Amino acid sequence: MTKVKIATDWLAGCAGCHMSLLDIDERVVKLLEAVEFTSSPVTDLKHPPKEGVTVGILEGAICNTHNIEVAKQMRERCQILIAIGDCATFGGIPAMRNLVGTEAALKRAYLETESVVDGLIPDSPELGKPLETVTGVGEVVKVDLFIPGCPPRADALFYALSELLAGRVPVILPPEHFVYD
Amino acid sequence: MEMVNITINGQKISAPAGITILKAAQQAGIDIPTLCNHPALSPTGACRVCVVEVEGQRTLITACTFPITDGLVIQTESPQVVKARKFILDMLFSERNHFCMYCQMSGDCELQNLGYRYGIDHWVFPTYTKGFPVDATRKYFLMEHNRCVLCGRCERACGTLVANHTLGLRNRGAKSMIHADANLTFGDSSCVSCGTCLQVCPTGALCDKRSAFMGRDEQTQHVKTTCSHCSVGCAMEIVTRGGNVMKILGDWDGAVNGGVLCQHGRFDPLYDERTRITSPLIRQKGKLVPANWDEALQVVAKRLGKADAKSIGVLASSNVTNEALYLLDKLFSKEMKVANVGLLNRAAPRLFEKPQGSLADIEKSDVILVVGADPVKDQPVASFLVKRTVDRGGRLIVVDGEDNGLAPFAYMHLPMADTGKAVEIAGRANNPVILYGTGAPEKTVNALKKLQGKAAFVALEQGTNTRAAVAFGFANGFKPSAVKTLFLLLGEQDGIGVEALEGIGKGAFIVVQASFASPLTEQADVVLPMAIWSERSGSLTNTEGRVQKVSKAVEPEGEAKADWEIISLLAEKMDKKLGASLEELSARATQNIK
Repeated sequence: MTKVKIATDWLAGCAGCHMSLLDIDERVVKLLEAVEFTSSPVTDLKHPPKEGVTVGILEGAICNTHNIEVAKQMRERCQILIAIGDCATFGGIPAMRNLVGTEAALKRAYLETESVVDGLIPDSPELGKPLETVTGVGEVVKVDLFIPGCPPRADALFYALSELLAGRVPVILPPEHFVYD
Repeated sequence: MEMVNITINGQKISAPAGITILKAAQQAGIDIPTLCNHPALSPTGACRVCVVEVEGQRTLITACTFPITDGLVIQTESPQVVKARKFILDMLFSERNHFCMYCQMSGDCELQNLGYRYGIDHWVFPTYTKGFPVDATRKYFLMEHNRCVLCGRCERACGTLVANHTLGLRNRGAKSMIHADANLTFGDSSCVSCGTCLQVCPTGALCDKRSAFMGRDEQTQHVKTTCSHCSVGCAMEIVTRGGNVMKILGDWDGAVNGGVLCQHGRFDPLYDERTRITSPLIRQKGKLVPANWDEALQVVAKRLGKADAKSIGVLASSNVTNEALYLLDKLFSKEMKVANVGLLNRAAPRLFEKPQGSLADIEKSDVILVVGADPVKDQPVASFLVKRTVDRGGRLIVVDGEDNGLAPFAYMHLPMADTGKAVEIAGRANNPVILYGTGAPEKTVNALKKLQGKAAFVALEQGTNTRAAVAFGFANGFKPSAVKTLFLLLGEQDGIGVEALEGIGKGAFIVVQASFASPLTEQADVVLPMAIWSERSGSLTNTEGRVQKVSKAVEPEGEAKADWEIISLLAEKMDKKLGASLEELSARATQNIK
C-alpha cells in the first residue's frame, strides 16, 4: 500500500503546533506505517514536493507577503489543507498587532525598544513585506479543516489524521478535541 | 394561573400563559442558548442568540422576550435556527478582540461556550482591527472593552438591581461602548464598586483583578455562607481553590439580597492586610510570648476562677456568631453571674417586642422613612433596596443630618426635630416602611411608634450580629470602673482602639479574643487567636431577626479557632459543661434569639 503523503509548514507562528504534533508520542510509529512526512520545518525537504501531497498542514497566521506565498504553494500542492492552531485559524497572537497597526508595531519593536541602539526596521528585499492586517490562513486560501487550539491538543491532531486515513474528512472536530486556548 | 399548551421540538408542553418561550423551554428541560439574558435581569433580546422558529411568525424571534400563547409550535434547533445562530456568533466574534488564549475567562466564558456549541472553528468575517481602551481605574476590577459583546447585562444590573445607574451605552453600531456617567473613567464615576456588573458579565470584559488567571470555575469550590460585614446578612458564595479564597460571589438565591452584594462584602475582605494572630499569646515578664492553647486557656480559667464576679467585665464585638454570643452569655452571665457585660457598638432603640416588618417590605412600600440611619454607609445593600423603590416611584423621606448618604435620593430631607411631619406624611401612605437606626433619639422613637400597625418597621443595626447580642443582653451598658478582669471578644472588628479600655483601672487583667494584631491586643495579658469570616461555621442573626448559616470555606490560619469553639474550650477548662456539637449550640442559640 502506498503511503499517504503529508507536508507541513509554518507561517507566523511559534512552532508550538508542530511541537504538539510531535506530542502524539509513540503513536507516531503507527502513523508512519501509513503516512510519509515529505516536507516540513523539521525535515530536510522544506517545500512540498511538486508532484503534490494528499494532506497539507499549516501553522501560523498570515502576517506578511512571504506567508501568502507559502500558503498558496501549499494549497496548490495538496488535496486537503488543514489549518492548525489559533494563529492559522483566527490570527492568534500575531493578530494582536492589528490593534496598534503594523507601522506602530514595527517602530516599537525595532526603534523604540529600550535596549535598541541605532535601530533599523528590516527592509531587505529578501524578506516578505509586513501586511497591514494579520489574518488566519482562511483569508488567503481555501482551508478544508480548521483545528483551533493554542496549541491544538496532540489528541486532536491525531484524531484528525486518523479520520483522514480512514477516508473521512471531519467537518468540525468533536467537543473533546475542540478548544480555543 | 391560566395554562396554555405549546409544542417545542415536537414535545407537547403545558406552561403558564404569558411566560417567555425561554422560560417555558427551561421548565420543560429544553435548552435554548442565551447570551444577553440573565435570570436576575429583565430580558432585552439584544444579542439574538436565543432565536427560535415559531410557526406562523414572519421571522425568527427571540425566545427570551416572546410570551407564549396557546398553540404555539416552536423549533429551537432547526437548520434555519442553527444557521442564524452561527451567523450571529460569526458577527459577535468578528467584533473586537475575542482571542480566548489571552483571556482570563477562557473556560468560564459564555461566548466561548456558544462558539464550542456551534462549532465556530474559524472566523468568517474580517476581524475588527480597532483597539478599544482598557479602564483599570477602579481598585478591584477592570473593564476590558475589547472583550465586550455589548449584551448590556452590566448596565441592567447597575440600573435595576443596584439602582445606581452608573453604566450606560453610548454611540451606535460597531462604535458602541459601555460607559460610566456619560464618559468618565470608572474610578472617577459614581460607581460604588459593588461588583454586581462583574458577576453578571458573560465574557472577560469585566475582570476581577484579584482572581484573574487563578483558575477556572471547575477547579474551584463554592461554599454558601452569609456575609458578616453588616447586619443585612447577604447570602454569598466563597470561591476557593487549594485552600485559598479567590473571590466572593453574591448568591442569587439569597433571601435578603437576591444576589447583590456591596464593596464591603464582595471585595474588602479579600484585601484585608492586617496582621493575623496565629497562636495564643501570654504576657510573661511584660512581653507577649506564644503559648499553646492549653496553657493560654489555663491562665484565663485560673484568673476567672479566682476573680469575684463583680470585678469581671465582658465586652463583645457584634461581629461574632450566635453560638459565640450564646456561650459567652451562658458562661459569664448565667454560670459565673457576671452582670457587667457590654457591646462594642451601639444598638438601635427597641420599638417593639416583636418584629414589625422585614427588609422585603421596603420594595413593597410607597413611602420610606429613614430615621437616624445611613444605610449607604453602614448597610449598603439595604440602600440599594431603598433606591430601587425610589426608582419605581416610592417616596423617600430622610430624617437625619445633612450628610446622610440617601439625602440626594430623598423626596424630603428633614431634621430630627421635624419627625412629626414625616410621621404625618407616612401615616397618609398606603404601605409606609420605617427604617431607623442608632441616630434616632428617644423623642423621635416615641413619635414613630404612632405608626404601629400602619407601617412596617425595620431597625438598621450597626455592626453585624447586634440583634443577637441585644437578645443575649449584651447592650445593657458597660461600667468599666469596677473591672479588674476583662474578657474582650474583639473578633475581627476594625476601628476599635484602646479607647475601648478607657476607664478600666491600671493593672486590670485583660483577655482579648481577636483575629488581628492591634493596639488592643498589645495591651492584653492573654490573646486568644480567632478564626475569621471564611474560617468558621455557625450562624448569624441579621437586623430583621433572620437566623442564617455561615460556613467554613478554608482552614483557620495558624492555630486560630472559631469564636464559639474558643469559649467552649474555656468553659471546659473551668469545668463548666457547656460543650455541645455545633448543631446543638446553633439550635440553643436560635431558641434564645427568637
